Amino acid sequence: MKAPILGEFTERDRQPHKLGALQRLEMPMSRFAENEEVDYLIVGVGAGGGVLLQRLARAGFRVLGLEAGPFWDTERDWVSDEAGSHQLYWEDLRITGGDNPLALGSNNCGKGVGGSTVHWAAFTPRFHPSDFRVYSQDGVGADWPFGYDELKPYYELMELELPVSGPAYFPWGDPHGYAFGPHPMNGVGNVLIRGCTRLGIPVSAGGPVGILQGSRADRPHCIYRGFCIQGCKVGAKASTLITHVPDAIAHGAEIRPHSMVSRINLGKGRRVSGVTYFDRDGREHFQKAKAVVVSGYSIETPRLLLNSACPGFETGLANSSDTVGRYLMAQAGNVVMGYFDELVRMYKAPPAIALSEEFYETDPKRGFARGFAIQTVGPLPIAFAKQMMSAQGAWGWGLRRVMMDFNHWAPLGLLGEILPHVDNRVELADETDRYGIPVAKVTFGLHDNDKMLIEFGKNKVIEVMEAAGAKEVVQEARYAHLVGAARMGSDPATSVVDKYGRSHDIANLFICDGSVMPTQGSANPGLTIQALAARAADYLISQGTTVFNSNKRAMECPPVRRNLSPDATWGHGSPRLK
Amino acid sequence: MSDDYNHPYDPHTKKPIGPLRQPGYYPDFSTLAQQKFWDAKTREVILDRVHNIPPIRFFTPAETTLIEVICDHIIPQDDRDAAHRIPIVPWIDKRLYENRHDGYRFADMPPDPEAFRLGFQGIEQIARHLHDCSFVTLQSLEQDKILKSLHDGKPAAGDEVWKRMPVHRFWMMLVQDCVEAYYAHPWAWDEIGFGGPAYPRAYIRLENGSPEPWESNERRYQWKAPDTAVSDLREPIPSPIEHPAPHRKRGLV
Repeated sequence: MKAPILGEFTERDRQPHKLGALQRLEMPMSRFAENEEVDYLIVGVGAGGGVLLQRLARAGFRVLGLEAGPFWDTERDWVSDEAGSHQLYWEDLRITGGDNPLALGSNNCGKGVGGSTVHWAAFTPRFHPSDFRVYSQDGVGADWPFGYDELKPYYELMELELPVSGPAYFPWGDPHGYAFGPHPMNGVGNVLIRGCTRLGIPVSAGGPVGILQGSRADRPHCIYRGFCIQGCKVGAKASTLITHVPDAIAHGAEIRPHSMVSRINLGKGRRVSGVTYFDRDGREHFQKAKAVVVSGYSIETPRLLLNSACPGFETGLANSSDTVGRYLMAQAGNVVMGYFDELVRMYKAPPAIALSEEFYETDPKRGFARGFAIQTVGPLPIAFAKQMMSAQGAWGWGLRRVMMDFNHWAPLGLLGEILPHVDNRVELADETDRYGIPVAKVTFGLHDNDKMLIEFGKNKVIEVMEAAGAKEVVQEARYAHLVGAARMGSDPATSVVDKYGRSHDIANLFICDGSVMPTQGSANPGLTIQALAARAADYLISQGTTVFNSNKRAMECPPVRRNLSPDATWGHGSPRLK
Repeated sequence: MSDDYNHPYDPHTKKPIGPLRQPGYYPDFSTLAQQKFWDAKTREVILDRVHNIPPIRFFTPAETTLIEVICDHIIPQDDRDAAHRIPIVPWIDKRLYENRHDGYRFADMPPDPEAFRLGFQGIEQIARHLHDCSFVTLQSLEQDKILKSLHDGKPAAGDEVWKRMPVHRFWMMLVQDCVEAYYAHPWAWDEIGFGGPAYPRAYIRLENGSPEPWESNERRYQWKAPDTAVSDLREPIPSPIEHPAPHRKRGLV
């Protein structure tokens, strides 16, 4: 076939705002007046902010999301191209240092509606029950202020709302099944399965991943094009941009894109009154709100709180505990690459396609606390060349040569739990951004347990790769994901927010994103961030208007609301829950 | 680097390989030939990259000459014919001119534009120290060896420069910039057999490394790097920062 049967795929005149190949966004959305006070103002519309916005809108609150980046039209804005996708990542300046400086930007930070869910690989395993009591069980890290059972109903909801494709029986943590079937294997998935099977290690094939394996409503199934990290033009991969934001807008929420919040304003009686932000033309605005939710993720959330220092909160808003910015975590994300005589063609199908959590829990025999997962990854040519540069020192003709073998390599990723440390933190740098706001300075370093875990985990992945038949194995040390830096806890002296995300210091200020996590397990954080947001929403809804006019702090567990899911999600599929 | 002396060669016949329109093991494969199957925006972005090479605005003429020579070593293209070499320097220049970066700067690094100029000074100082002449006037082998000393983290001179900027970070930035330009080009995708954009058409043959109906099978050939180069080695980059030593098992060849 020389050309598509129906002609080239040209954009026909002015299309409506598209989210994926089929979904259309109803515009215009409602717009609050400049001086109008909203109920909830959410700073950042990503994994946490997107889900919270949707639920609060459905419950009838007047909600506004201020998003620093654009409101994507996936057909007009996104491309199947690595170098052309930089606008998806948070590429404003940050300073990164410490003994093991973290790569930021495309590695872990999104900008624009949907946040990092736009460019996540969408692995969506749950945390294990043990993750919620790491300190009591292993004597390291911290306990969460609630247990797995409180989050479980929200995992179940999110697994249907994204939805998550995966096996009928997932054996690790709290064993469960997935309502939507697993994806077919690609070459890299087969390498993981082959290696693990030879070593007697169980594998979960075809998920859990937030990518549609069959079409549902106005979202098509995956076409296995492999550009998950560059934004899914198909609309098969879940991002809050396509899963929750349209429903939020249909229920009266407003999202104001290109709105960079510079500070949260403190009003009377130790309560916040709204936020100051810059619009796309650099004009400064003040937006009034009865309550403010910060959903800027683990760098921007602490940065905003620190930048909002004011009389009464000299070291940063909601920072009486001196915990804002501390206990920042990334996961060990070492990539092990194996060369095979036969072709693999790793660029086909989602990078996130198979995993093993066999080594997730603490095993005293290993000599360190906590564990790791092994997952498939799928770097495209530029990312792979950079990995080979690090792993092999490839450059010049050596680089050209290894790249000519691109289709012979298969990469597997370690996902290892790094514990929370007080000195891994976000502070403010001397430099400022284009609005004059001080940028974040990130300090990160590994401690002994982390180093032992990484060494063991890396060698285990190498063992799997060799068992799969790789002729040569190389590895690159790197880090994946971010969580922490504004952690939740029961004790206001050692945490920033309570178990529902409400700041200990200020009764109408909340945090709803990955920064509230006290520990991170070795599961990708995206699903848990969204489950926490759904839980926070149920709490806020259960409080009615109390949050807006009282400093009373109810701590009872709210009822689970199953009627807040976007249309055509809850009740569809047949969940095989244990 | 245009004379035959710098060509990779066939180890059996000792004949130079190139100049070729398309090096690599997929001689019949062309991603650009598939452009009618791409979505409009992707086609627009990729064709713009192929046809509209940005002008030099950041580097001075002398710096441009120097960075051209450096890039010819980091991504040598002597096996490509003149009409099918992939521009690298204009893209680095564009990034520095627009002051774009990946969203972070290492605490021990100056801003990228400054880092490049510092690095140039360092390279010149090594050339003067070792050979008493400018880097660009050196023989290809000497140039390659100086760059390898940066790669190895053992520059022979320029201590003042490398005190202000860790040599391995400068080297990583340099190679990354070259990689981002070269492997963003559809000709490089053809070279390595990467299928490229596949929306809205999809990939359908996921297993066993099978080609799509529009992809091609691999046709390997043996080649050796030119004798004027020392870069066809695979040694780990020593790094004072990252703790794990890169793991190697067996050689590939």
